Amino acid sequence: MRALIVDDSRAMRRIVGRILGDAGFEVLEAGDGQQALDLLEGLDGPPELACVDWNMPVMDGLTFITEVRNRPQWRAITLMMVTTESESDRIVRALAAGAHEYLIKPFTGEAMLEKLDLLGLLPTSTGV
Amino acid sequence: MTISSAPDQALVLAAIEQVWGSMLFASAEAWPAERAADFGSGVQAHIELRGDWNGRLVLTCDSDVATQIAGAMLGLGPDEELPELDVHDAVGEVLNVVGGSVKGALIGTWALGLPDVSETSEAPSRDDSFVVSWGDAPVYVQILPDAA
Repeated sequence: MRALIVDDSRAMRRIVGRILGDAGFEVLEAGDGQQALDLLEGLDGPPELACVDWNMPVMDGLTFITEVRNRPQWRAITLMMVTTESESDRIVRALAAGAHEYLIKPFTGEAMLEKLDLLGLLPTSTGV
Repeated sequence: MTISSAPDQALVLAAIEQVWGSMLFASAEAWPAERAADFGSGVQAHIELRGDWNGRLVLTCDSDVATQIAGAMLGLGPDEELPELDVHDAVGEVLNVVGGSVKGALIGTWALGLPDVSETSEAPSRDDSFVVSWGDAPVYVQILPDAA
């Protein structure tokens, strides 16, 4: 399985990448929403998962999620917002835009794996 | 806990304690006012907060401390080195998460900017900052309103 990490912080991409890599994902990275769209356009097939920060330069995560949801060829991508935005109205907006899950920074590796398990994206997942 | 006024020192300190613990696997404590807080050259991270109060949070630390924070965040061993760009990025992300925690505790509609990190050779004045510990070293924190 492949996972795309969209975050303007190289450190955060590295942390999330390590968690996902240990969980068996091939990891792709982009530094903002536009870079991520460009990367997706060049792939032969969409990744199973995208972990998306909210606040980024050029194109923010909410816009990226909206763009992905508007393209039928990327409908199979599971979208997880990973962000410092913790207010309930932000969570509602992200889910309404098409995010499947929402993880607030700071988070632990265990918390991210629990989300992935709920989404049925771990080898041992039973899903929901 | 949520509050409706500008972020105060206790709120920011609580956010730092949370982030130090969960992201850096370290404890943060208020630095005693009477204790000297030595500083050489270092890095300074800023992030803007916009809402009922407009200003920025600023975190300043010695270069060695910045490297240690980045290493702790990324789980590096003592002999592993990071490029300066990655150290700055990690310190900026730490402040970003602190800012997010502070914003989440405030009532009303607030917006957080993107972190900006630069080098500095001067420690902030103790008069307009408070100091928290990173191990046995000081980290300066400022809550600065926009200039009138």
